Amino acid sequence: MIATIPSASLLGVDGRPVTVEVHVSNGLPGFTVVGLPDAACRESRDRVRAALLSSGLTWPLRRVTVNLAPSGMRKGGAGLDLPIAIGLLVAAGQVPAESVEGCAFIGELGLDGSLRRVPGIVPLVDALGASTVVVPQSCAAEAGLVGRHVVRGAGTLRELVDVLVEAMPWPAPVDPVPAGQAGKPEPDLADVRGQRVGRWALEVAAAGGHHLLLTGPPGAGKTLLARRLPGLLPPLSHEEALETTRVHSAAGMDLSDVGLVSRPPFRSPHHGASAVALVGGGSAWLRPGEISLSHNGVLFLDELAEFAPAVLDSLRQPLEEGIVRVSRIKQSVTFPARFLLVAAMNPCPCGGDGGPDGCRCREQARLRYVRRISGPLLDRFDLRVLVARADVGELLSGEEVESSVVVAARVRAARERAVERGVRTNAALPASRLDEVAPMTAEAWRVVEWHLRRGTLSARGLHRVRRVARTVADLAGAEHLVEEEHVCAALDLRVEPARLEAAS
Amino acid sequence: MNAVDEDDAAVAALAGLPYMSWDRLRTLLADDPPSSVWDAVRGGRHGPGLARAAARVRLADVAAAHAAAGVQVRRLGTETYPGELAEDHECPAALFTLGSFDGLARPRVAIVGTRRCTNYGRDVARELGRTLAEAGVAVVSGLAAGIDGAAHEGALAGGGAPPIGVVGSGLDVVYPRRHARLWERMAQAGALLSEAPLGARPEPWRFPARNRILAALAHVLVVVESHLAGGSMHTVRAAEERGVPVLVVPGPIRSRASAGTNQLLSQGCHPVCDAQDVLAALALRHAGPVPLTLVGSGRVAGAAGDGGSGLTEWRSPPTPEAEAVLDALDWTPTSLDTLLARIDRPPSRVSMALAWLEREGWAQSQSGWWQRC
Repeated sequence: MIATIPSASLLGVDGRPVTVEVHVSNGLPGFTVVGLPDAACRESRDRVRAALLSSGLTWPLRRVTVNLAPSGMRKGGAGLDLPIAIGLLVAAGQVPAESVEGCAFIGELGLDGSLRRVPGIVPLVDALGASTVVVPQSCAAEAGLVGRHVVRGAGTLRELVDVLVEAMPWPAPVDPVPAGQAGKPEPDLADVRGQRVGRWALEVAAAGGHHLLLTGPPGAGKTLLARRLPGLLPPLSHEEALETTRVHSAAGMDLSDVGLVSRPPFRSPHHGASAVALVGGGSAWLRPGEISLSHNGVLFLDELAEFAPAVLDSLRQPLEEGIVRVSRIKQSVTFPARFLLVAAMNPCPCGGDGGPDGCRCREQARLRYVRRISGPLLDRFDLRVLVARADVGELLSGEEVESSVVVAARVRAARERAVERGVRTNAALPASRLDEVAPMTAEAWRVVEWHLRRGTLSARGLHRVRRVARTVADLAGAEHLVEEEHVCAALDLRVEPARLEAAS
Repeated sequence: MNAVDEDDAAVAALAGLPYMSWDRLRTLLADDPPSSVWDAVRGGRHGPGLARAAARVRLADVAAAHAAAGVQVRRLGTETYPGELAEDHECPAALFTLGSFDGLARPRVAIVGTRRCTNYGRDVARELGRTLAEAGVAVVSGLAAGIDGAAHEGALAGGGAPPIGVVGSGLDVVYPRRHARLWERMAQAGALLSEAPLGARPEPWRFPARNRILAALAHVLVVVESHLAGGSMHTVRAAEERGVPVLVVPGPIRSRASAGTNQLLSQGCHPVCDAQDVLAALALRHAGPVPLTLVGSGRVAGAAGDGGSGLTEWRSPPTPEAEAVLDALDWTPTSLDTLLARIDRPPSRVSMALAWLEREGWAQSQSGWWQRC
């Protein structure tokens, strides 16, 4: 008369195990779901009833109580439809209890008895302890990415019941999608003509994990450059890939043709995006935002100055911490958000036409434009370069430029050095360790001193310049000491965005 | 010294009425003493609009405000009114001033130019202002953003002759706002004057009117940078009407900020290549003694490029590597990208050479753009 079915529910990007208890007893016919279900979850009784009837099964005309344990935790989504239906059939004696032993179920039911995919199947399956997991056929491949369970896929409830009741053999386990077979090839750096500084900055950004701001007139190639950054990054390690895949799955993205996200993701939200869309949140279902979707990858904000200032400032805390805590009155979750920020903006509203003197904007309009980006945010860009329009001669010349593969090899070598130092990338080097891992020559100190005295470099800027200089030195193969040229390069790669220093 | 009598207050109150242009004010004040004109305006003799506006103003308040701010009211026809201006056919009926007017006795050069100036223009204006002030010339300008402000900064920095600022708004309405410091320093070290009373907003029509005072006060007008259409061109016309020679700083032909000045050159204005050119023009114009030899650094920085100007070279000679980079640099802003394309060397070596050139004064950078200097 009672059945217990393990399943899971999604909270943020993490699955939480849920036990579905179904009790069928004598009394007035009725169906109650208890244990803090949300609206979609409470509606499951109607879906379950219709699915049972249209699958040719019997609806017990008795008192049915479903408890979702632990009952203190809110459960959302329709993924509990299938465990409720199976629990009901077991409790009503239509399916033998032995046949579901050791099995967990996840899936949404259609009124016709079909099984539908649910968002977040990867973290959901990951949360389960059962040895066998039964999921809708359409997301069986993704469920297999976790790799710890025997994954069974079923197309309809009827099919599933036949297997369980008549002990028919399970359909062959679905193979997980081979990792990395994913989609389109990434754009190659060899397509970019000219733009030496831009290419150089991309290489340093990729090697050191430094956030990058590209400033330049429209049509100069900022977006073109930014899109080539993921191609320079090394492929994700298995743990990183799994982390990213879980986030993508929890956001409801269809991974059936991608499989494991093994390349760094590239996200470029439109500048109309709201703060919640960017950092994550929502009222009923806390969904990861764009910064979490670009976890372990690249977040590209084109037209940075067009984003609402409040939205941009919401990025500051995740940029520091690599995670974002989204708190709502009833729950709070933590999303991973360790991403490489690349932003592009025009130097002023008119875009300028190349030179510092080519602007047609009124002073006021120009100041208003650049002030939209707060100082603290601007400060987080270790690399700030000008992307001027490419020279026509270079644009048309057939000269071969380095391809992504060549640059990526250097990037990989530089990143390995950072890992030897015990950090993920040089951008994460704590200031206290700079003297130890990035000691500078006397000449290099002289350059820095000159800038400090002149006021063109602040104390905080100094740390950032030293980290970038470390990366430049790593790329150049300099073993220990950071030399003058590396510091000069780091300073040149960190210009004040055009005209931010307003006319006196 | 700073007594504001009833007539002064009446002029200030009249000048503060809405849309009180300078010629209307002069017509009003042509025959009667200001206090009786004020009574007539309040009485409605000059229309109900003015009467209504005047009814909201108390003379005692106006007088108190001007006295408290230390603003002196100089009415046309009184001995405090600067004689240099009184001869002008479009002179204002009254001037409101702060600071000392010692500069008026000196040769005066107006330096004007666009608000949307380039670094080049700003540098030249600052340098001209400094050199001329050091040579004992009173620099007259409009305290606007861009060239005007730079000229005054230079004049104040040199510690030479006190500069004169002619502004469009009331003396307590700082415009543009970020010139508040400069404004203050001008009132202390030089003079500020306006034909608008305290509280007058920087309405657009006030600036063309202000420009005629600039032209009237100048013995020589120097235009540093001007777009094809702009306030500076208005000042140039006012100067030409008065027979004031107009000198022009040449600019790159591709720079929009120099389009107006280059056009003036093609129309026959004299070019300014250093402060000496200005002094020469001044000597022809100003009756008093004009120093023809300059104190201090001589030529305007940036104009001395060919090495033959007699400027002593204080910069260390560039290393071969730095020299290669220096050769690739232009006198106009060049992006790092262009430089890298011109020089076939690793980017970080180029950066190092540029940093050296900047420290030694051979090059300067702004927002990622590099140029020789």
